[in-house]
Amino acid sequence: MSKASTYKAPIVTSKLRVSGVMLDVIIAMLPLVFFSYLAHGKYSMMVIGTAIGSALITDWLASWFFLKKTNSPLDGSAIITATLMAFTLSPYTPLYMVAFGGAMAVLFGKILWGGVGKNRFNPALVGREFMVAFFPVVMTSASVWTAGSYTVVNQLHPFSVFGQGEIINYLNATFYNTNGALGEYSILFLALGGIYLVARRRIGWQIPTGLLVTFFALSLWFQDSISNYSIAGVLLGAIFMATDMPSSPNSNSGKLFYGMMIGAVAIMCLAGGIKHEYMSYSILILNGFSSKINEIFIPRSWGRSTDLPLRVKQTVLITLQIITVSLAVLGLNYYGYIHYLVFVYLAYMIFNFHFFTQQKLQDPI
Amino acid sequence: MFMKIPSLKSVTKKIEITNLADPELFYVPLKSYFGEMKPLVNVGQKVQQQLPLAKGKDGSLVHAPVSGEVVDLSYQINGLPHLLIQNDFANTVYINKEIESASAIADKIRLAGIAGSGGAGFPTHIKYDANQIETLIINGVECEPYLTADYALMSDEPEKILRAAHIAAKLFGAKNIVIALEKQNRELVKVFQSCIDFSDDISFKLLPNTYPQGGELQLIKAVTGKEIPKGSIPANEGVVVSNVGTLWAIYNAVENGKANTERIVTVSGTGAKKYGNFRVKIGTSVSHILNQLGIDLNQTDVVLGGPMMGNIVSDLKQPITKTSGGVLSFKKSETKENNCIQCSYCADACPQHLMPMQYASAKFDNDTKKYVQFNLSDCIECGACQYICPSNVPLMQSISEGKSLLKSLQNSVAI
Ligand code: SF4
Ligand code: SF4
Repeated sequence: MSKASTYKAPIVTSKLRVSGVMLDVIIAMLPLVFFSYLAHGKYSMMVIGTAIGSALITDWLASWFFLKKTNSPLDGSAIITATLMAFTLSPYTPLYMVAFGGAMAVLFGKILWGGVGKNRFNPALVGREFMVAFFPVVMTSASVWTAGSYTVVNQLHPFSVFGQGEIINYLNATFYNTNGALGEYSILFLALGGIYLVARRRIGWQIPTGLLVTFFALSLWFQDSISNYSIAGVLLGAIFMATDMPSSPNSNSGKLFYGMMIGAVAIMCLAGGIKHEYMSYSILILNGFSSKINEIFIPRSWGRSTDLPLRVKQTVLITLQIITVSLAVLGLNYYGYIHYLVFVYLAYMIFNFHFFTQQKLQDPI
Repeated sequence: MFMKIPSLKSVTKKIEITNLADPELFYVPLKSYFGEMKPLVNVGQKVQQQLPLAKGKDGSLVHAPVSGEVVDLSYQINGLPHLLIQNDFANTVYINKEIESASAIADKIRLAGIAGSGGAGFPTHIKYDANQIETLIINGVECEPYLTADYALMSDEPEKILRAAHIAAKLFGAKNIVIALEKQNRELVKVFQSCIDFSDDISFKLLPNTYPQGGELQLIKAVTGKEIPKGSIPANEGVVVSNVGTLWAIYNAVENGKANTERIVTVSGTGAKKYGNFRVKIGTSVSHILNQLGIDLNQTDVVLGGPMMGNIVSDLKQPITKTSGGVLSFKKSETKENNCIQCSYCADACPQHLMPMQYASAKFDNDTKKYVQFNLSDCIECGACQYICPSNVPLMQSISEGKSLLKSLQNSVAI
């Protein structure tokens, strides 16, 4: 009460809680988990289960040790992070690696930033990149991606009731196929998950739309110079990864710009010969620019006007910066030094936590 | 994008206005929009009801709510001076000849001490010092949850509001009068239309039941399509917005020569046991109202005004002012503060298109520049961001701290 009397406060509040937001994301992911079971049965389940288990334990221990909080595993964010990370993996990834990834995702993706909401990079992708950096051979080896011919259900033909032919086959494959990473078996349900999240206003439409339109437009344009990509992988990135709230910008125009730039950088990566990590890198690169984007794409206040020349100038500048960073990443990748970025990040996180984050653990933002 | 907030008005919506017994002691606030007011009376002086008690720099007046004796001139409540009157229950009335004999309507309004009843209490005589007005908007949009004081006025005394609207429209030559109502209150259209004073120049604008639709800037846009920034004067755009409560006070002044010493107050909330819309004299303390209604003060948090923009009462002697539309009590509850998850809901809910989460990070990072960079001065303190925030991040606290910080910076620059 003493605090309350010093400022005006709405005494009524909406019933919306963080757990409700998290629950909707989990609902959107569930069909994908189901399809991963259909595709690779217990292997899928083991990977997802291991990731979640490792993330929860790490969350609990690390929250207690670093943040002096004991209730955070219950907020659902570790489950989402772990599942999303598992979605990018092969169902035949060795489980010790998955456990390592889940732990790193939580520790270096979230806890050392100060806890839920304070991370600057998508934790699921941080976990994945730690795995790639520490186990580069296994993560990209063909054996992990082709090892299993084990499938529970090989094909589903829901659209065959409408007849036969190329289009029907294509639609059936959109509904279900058994290739690729764990979260990529149903393009249709990836899209439906996205629609659900947009309809429930858990994510803005701006990021996925900006990303997908830019990506596919550019991929047509540069058809000849880019390697193969997975549509499901792009969707997974656009809907579930790029929209991670803390690591993406806050304003609508900022979100649109951010989504478009991810699409563009992903194409750059593909053109630069990055085979598996093009979505991951492009999202992580743009994560790094989120707070800058927030400062540029400030919405126009009621009744006021935007300084357009300034906005254009700033947009061009930041676009150039993004391209420069992307080129640098491409260069590192070309010379095989890219995993050093993860080691630099690791060192930075420890330094940053020790000297800065630690002092602000009680602050909500 | 405005948000829907449960209106929670049904408890008091249909209750007719009734009188509330007067207290023994009145705490008349000595503050107008432009700062403190100077007393015109002395301690020990016997005053009659309606006698002017104090005057502000801009000419604003405040009048005696009852007859009695002045017992204090600078009683402090929450750092603001109040003039105390011991009620003698004789109810002798000072016949304020000045109001009646004033030739200009604007003078009558000033002499009657009328201030905007809906918002910040801007002196009406200054607002009405306008000409070349196209549209007079009557603000019947009570977008705060729970409050039905304006609704009660419109359904119980619509003729008075219409009369006053005509008086005001004539004063500054407005061609159209638009009564703005929320869709959920559309039955009021009929109520107004069946009045004798209803005429063709009056139209209605039904607005969605969203918050904060009744904010002046938002209302002007909805009715006229003009989007004007905070801090600009609507009259320069040919628009004047007046609250129904203000018009009611204008009617009393112009037609009956009565000063503005009472208003309608809604008593409601989850902690209230009795509800209603009451005619309450300015200066009546919150504790008196709650005692009269038998509401337990220990188990409730009390809000003066609406639940979104009102103040949580820290001193129950705090009185009803010309702007308090409600006394609401709520069962005490603990809200837990969590980390901001950057969901941007606060930005989506903000009627001014601001990014409220940035004010929280300005506060916790001690980054004063950020307040300016993210246009804090455009914030109308409507509370929508705080309402929607799923983590209870102290947004309003950041905003009010930021505003006082900027103000003190401005002052130091001026020196
Ligand atoms: S209080 Fe200010 S920042 Fe918050 S929603 Fe209202 S205008 Fe926007
Ligand atoms: S609504 Fe609350 S949690 Fe969401 S961005 Fe705003 S301050 Fe953060």
